[in-house]
Amino acid sequence: MRACGRALIVALTCTLLALGITFVAAPISAQAMTCDKATARPNEDGGSGVIGGETTRLTWEGTVESGEDVTKVTLTIPDDGTFDGSTTRVTVLDGLTRMSVEAETKTSGNTLEVDFSQAIPEGSLVRLEVTNMCFPVEGGDYAISGTYESQAGTSALPDSPSISVIANTPLQRAVTWLDGQSWVQAWNSNQFLGMFFKPQLLLTSFVSLFGGWLVCLVIVIVAYPIAILLGLAFAFMKMAKHKVVRAIAVTYINILRGTPLFLQIYIMFFGLPMVGVNIDNNVLGVIVMAVNSSAYLAEIFRAGIQSIPTGQYEAAASLGMNGAQTMVSIILPQTVRRVIPTVTSDFITSYKDTSLLSSVGVMELMMFSKNLTTVSGNITPYMAAAIYYLIVTLPLIKVVGIVERRMARSESGGGPRPKAKGSATPAADPSTPAMASVHCEATEDDGVHGVIGALTAPFRSASSVTPRHDEMGGVPDAL
Amino acid sequence: MKREDRRFIGIVACIVCALTAALAIAGCSSGSGSSSTTTAASSASADTSSYTTVESGKLIVASDLAYPPLESVPDGGGDPVGFDVDLMNALAGKLGLTCEYLPAQKFDSIVPTIKQGGKADVGCSSFTITDERKEEIDFTDSYMDSNQGLVTKSDATATTVDALNVAGKQIAVQSGTTGEEWAQENLPNATVVPLDDAIQAMTGVQTGLYDACVADLPVMKYLCNNSYTDLKVSIEIPTGEQYGIVVSKDNPGLTAALNTALQELKDDGTIDSLEEKWFGSTM
Repeated sequence: MRACGRALIVALTCTLLALGITFVAAPISAQAMTCDKATARPNEDGGSGVIGGETTRLTWEGTVESGEDVTKVTLTIPDDGTFDGSTTRVTVLDGLTRMSVEAETKTSGNTLEVDFSQAIPEGSLVRLEVTNMCFPVEGGDYAISGTYESQAGTSALPDSPSISVIANTPLQRAVTWLDGQSWVQAWNSNQFLGMFFKPQLLLTSFVSLFGGWLVCLVIVIVAYPIAILLGLAFAFMKMAKHKVVRAIAVTYINILRGTPLFLQIYIMFFGLPMVGVNIDNNVLGVIVMAVNSSAYLAEIFRAGIQSIPTGQYEAAASLGMNGAQTMVSIILPQTVRRVIPTVTSDFITSYKDTSLLSSVGVMELMMFSKNLTTVSGNITPYMAAAIYYLIVTLPLIKVVGIVERRMARSESGGGPRPKAKGSATPAADPSTPAMASVHCEATEDDGVHGVIGALTAPFRSASSVTPRHDEMGGVPDAL
Repeated sequence: MKREDRRFIGIVACIVCALTAALAIAGCSSGSGSSSTTTAASSASADTSSYTTVESGKLIVASDLAYPPLESVPDGGGDPVGFDVDLMNALAGKLGLTCEYLPAQKFDSIVPTIKQGGKADVGCSSFTITDERKEEIDFTDSYMDSNQGLVTKSDATATTVDALNVAGKQIAVQSGTTGEEWAQENLPNATVVPLDDAIQAMTGVQTGLYDACVADLPVMKYLCNNSYTDLKVSIEIPTGEQYGIVVSKDNPGLTAALNTALQELKDDGTIDSLEEKWFGSTM
């Protein structure tokens, strides 16, 4: 606040001074050179702000008004901003045509002198691009002032529109500290390490990619439940008796599985606005991911449901259950167990595929890392993005592995079984319907427990669920 | 247990592979030049030192090939065409090399590709010579002047910098271009959306997904006149930027040879005739 106030006072004083000088020094031509604009290139990693004390590029444009030839321009930035170590590109334009003008530049502290080899005629646009200059560390709103020389002598330049500069952040300070470390320099001097794992960039990448990572996670976490419901619906539709219903499901699934997700994204993102439907990019991203996944999930669910042996249906029927009851309490719980690894794999795929959304402007992980790589010309932001992807996928891959192993054990008769009452085995056919009856009993007892038990069984260790294969003969759920 | 063993072996194998790759890359970079082919400079640069190319007798060019009339792949595929393409062919001819284009590269990946080396000798994709890029790679002398152009729909109401510099406005740009930098600096309140190529940006403006796009003026003019007739160049932005060809800093001989050849093409009027051919007038 106080810095702002001070900056304002400084700016005001400068303006007053400038006005004063103008009146004193150039009484004939009131304002012979104007400043059209001054902008600075954002140098905040992953952000759009200009940070003080970090190198940036200043673009200053001024026009030579009528009745004047300009031979020299001097720019000044306030306080401890510096032009030292900067390079300047000088462009002089007549309309859109570039004029061949040579210029010599000299920097000293907070002033920059540009000496033109020939006088710049009236009506020309002078464009100065000062690369690697620094604004003051404290931040604030800074206007570029200065002077110019013409035949009439030296006159003051009007102040440029002010440029907002953010004070240096802890992150930037950490980066500056890393810059100074000898081990960091040694590390970066190896071309491979410096290009792929530059410590400074890794640090800033992690911070600025975080938002993109959240977007990825939110998209897939919101999309996935929708995809599961849609997938289940289409799985049932594909197994329906009605030919038409089946045809709809088959078309939906085949078209979505038969075309690349990338293409679907393009169609949705460029197609919908064309017919006047404008949906927020992130919401549309969720929709595309959900619809795409639903087709794969539908196939996974259908295969899962159809892999349950007919014996289970017969057993349920013999207990007097109707179709819906059989599905909800007998078939689905077993299906869920079987499809967990495949669904998790599909979830991993979906999560990774959110990266494709970057091509249509969704600000997710890939987009942020791409931008950062563009700005830095270094691969490190991609490596940071890879780490962000792996944080989620590696544990899930591990889970799939565990579940698959447990399931393999249970399929071969060694796995966990939901608890059953001692005399549950029915007399008729002791091998096949055993499972059904066990489930049935459990459902009768307390339905929730049975279902949850079935769902969580693969995650529990075998010892926590008493193996009863000795009694039940290890029902093989032949796939 | 067995499966775990196998996985462990897999991990070890992966680490070994990664290390080998790392060593290979590091080895290549440190010993660069020793193994690549050395081509003696031809007539164009008889006096300057020799240079190396990735493949002997060839000048391999990386370009995004989606920037008509400077570089593009004609409808239906085939060899790339455009001002830059003709220029590179003429330059390669002067050097006694065969010009060969890589398949379309992402614009923002070309400078890193040239810097890394091993894939292409030069990048020629309407690169503006900037001091930032010069820190990474070398530029040849400039071969053409350019400006920026901002394109909107013909019937759009927001067509000025003030009208577009508003929160909620979406400005499409090509990632890594000077157009992107212009939009970031001059339209800070709007959302700047970096895309892979200029065609995508134009399509987005046409469909109404974005409010405007910013890219090099010659390209914007050409696209508005030929393919996107319902769009127009609303703002002609005088930047006076200059195009140069990107060459690795490890290959100064090639830069020098290209500069000599470029001067010859300027002197014998080839560049003027190419500008006539592709832009209808000399620039």
